[in-house]
Amino acid sequence: MQTEAIIRVILEALEELNRQRPAELQIPRTPETVLSGDGGQLDSLGLVNLILLVEEGVADKLGVRISLSDERAMAQEANPFRNANLLAAYIRRLLEEKESV
Amino acid sequence: MREPDYQCLIVSDFNVSNFAGYLDNDPEAPRLACHCGPFGQVVQVLGNRDLDCWHSPPPDCLVVWTQPGRVIHGFSQLMAGGNVALDEILAEVDQFAALLAAAAQQVKSVFVPTWVMPPFERGLGMLDLKMRAGFSVTRMRMNLRLVEALEQVPNLYLLNAERWFQLAGKAAFNPKAWYLGKIAYGNDVYKEAVRDIKAGLRGIAGQARKLILLDLDDTLWGGIVGDIGWENLQLGGHDAAGEAFVDFQQALKALKSRGVLLGIVSKNEESVALAAIDEHPEMVLRRDDFAGWRINWGDKALNVADLVAELNLGLQSVVFIDDNPAERARVREALPEVLVPDWPEEKMLYRKTLQELACFDIPVLSREDLDRTQMYVAERKRKISRHEVGSLEEWLASLEIKVVVEELDESNLPRATQLLNKTNQLNLATRRMTEAELLAWARQPNHSLRVFRVTDKFGDYGLTGLASLTVEATRGRIVDFILSCRVMGRRVEETIFHHMLELAAEQGAREVLVEYLATPKNKPCLTFLESSGLSRREDGTTFFWKTAEPYPRPSQVEIEVQPA
Repeated sequence: MQTEAIIRVILEALEELNRQRPAELQIPRTPETVLSGDGGQLDSLGLVNLILLVEEGVADKLGVRISLSDERAMAQEANPFRNANLLAAYIRRLLEEKESV
Repeated sequence: MREPDYQCLIVSDFNVSNFAGYLDNDPEAPRLACHCGPFGQVVQVLGNRDLDCWHSPPPDCLVVWTQPGRVIHGFSQLMAGGNVALDEILAEVDQFAALLAAAAQQVKSVFVPTWVMPPFERGLGMLDLKMRAGFSVTRMRMNLRLVEALEQVPNLYLLNAERWFQLAGKAAFNPKAWYLGKIAYGNDVYKEAVRDIKAGLRGIAGQARKLILLDLDDTLWGGIVGDIGWENLQLGGHDAAGEAFVDFQQALKALKSRGVLLGIVSKNEESVALAAIDEHPEMVLRRDDFAGWRINWGDKALNVADLVAELNLGLQSVVFIDDNPAERARVREALPEVLVPDWPEEKMLYRKTLQELACFDIPVLSREDLDRTQMYVAERKRKISRHEVGSLEEWLASLEIKVVVEELDESNLPRATQLLNKTNQLNLATRRMTEAELLAWARQPNHSLRVFRVTDKFGDYGLTGLASLTVEATRGRIVDFILSCRVMGRRVEETIFHHMLELAAEQGAREVLVEYLATPKNKPCLTFLESSGLSRREDGTTFFWKTAEPYPRPSQVEIEVQPA
């Protein structure tokens, strides 16, 4: 249930990003779309924008403040920003950790 | 994808990619193609027109968006605790303003958001507005200095960015966005900026809305006047919704005072509705605040189209406000050019909804704009008087028409240019010129240009006529003859010819030629010339007058020539 909500937040963030992008560079709003890394749709600024939008979205919709721009996120073995599914899984882990504290 | 209407260069000291993206993608007219100047090089870009960003492609409009602490060095020192004199900071603002003014000469329009600070910046706390060196008071002075330094630059518009930040609320600033991407402001700020810039560009292009057509029951007042009588309407008094209706009317009246016309399209008995407008003590808007109305039981879309035609406006000038969603849907479907905003059910949101409409922005306010409603009200009274007086000549005489003649000067130049460029019907040569071109033409030797203000007992038509003359030896030529359709057919045409032909004679012309240059729209001009009493040459389009005989002045019109 929570994963679905997180994916919704990420897809809404992609929708907002698309409002800033030209027609030929629109990002398909699917959980599998490759966002960063090889073949990814986002450049570094796009990734920053995604991080900020998702952080805001999680705070607004799920009521929890998380950070996706810290070293931990960047040091993950599997790139959490590869696609929405992986990012949602990473966010879910962060939320579970916060709950268990 | 449609071609852009404007190329827009954005110059900034922060990362404006997000803003440029929103501006590029915004579906509202006009369409922009944005490109950003080199990051953080505001002064260099404004000061060096050889840089690529000025040429690939050349911009039509320019947005210069800066942060006070980055573009004004003295302010950044002040924020860092330095002791900087206010005069030093303001001198820097003057230098920046000079750069902006120079850049404005390269483009059609420039937009400069005012300087803002993040709300979490507390400055000197309770002393921030008290001490000379407070951050807030200094920033306010900087903005004010910018306003004063740039108010004479006609194509440069400072935009109140404070409003965008208030609307965006907490999301306006995110320090993380700055540190991670040099993004100064939140996306909601950029979206508001886009709305204001687009509204400004529409206004500059003459596409601002000029007429608001209003329903009455539950729109201008609460309740159905035909059922409960005007005495029982919800309007004013100690009542939340009643107060809200009064506030809504006041906001409409404020729009009227800046040149927006108001009209009524309502399903009601006309006499009952007008009695409410005339008699209700808390009505803010009275009969003379409305340029016209259609109050009957007919189809609203037809009534809108009919009233707009009567007021000689286009449907693209119109906003239609009605509390009834079915009526809105009908007008929206039948007249897609009319702007029909979604209207809240909650009466207390009416004023806010009106004020949020970004469609009335205009670049300058002329005297004619301010007096526009009065002109329509006067016209309505004229029409009534036309039915009361017998012949046309008697009626014209009863109007007490007066024509005031002025030479072209700086004060009447904007309106004269507007008249030159917008008049199609009674326009002899249909020349189109900028203010500078028109003034330069009028100042050439042997050239004379006169503008004509027309009034009658019902009101002031404003500057509605223009005529120009050249005289070479004994031959004169009327180059321009332009008259607004508002005063056509009232012997003003003949009065203008009387004056110009007299002027030509004074300058030595024995014969004056009037050459009609046909366009698809200026047939009324030919019709007038054919009945003017001028002689016609065989080519059919050239008319002439021998000045040995004075061209007669219509007896119904008084003429007053202002000294130069």
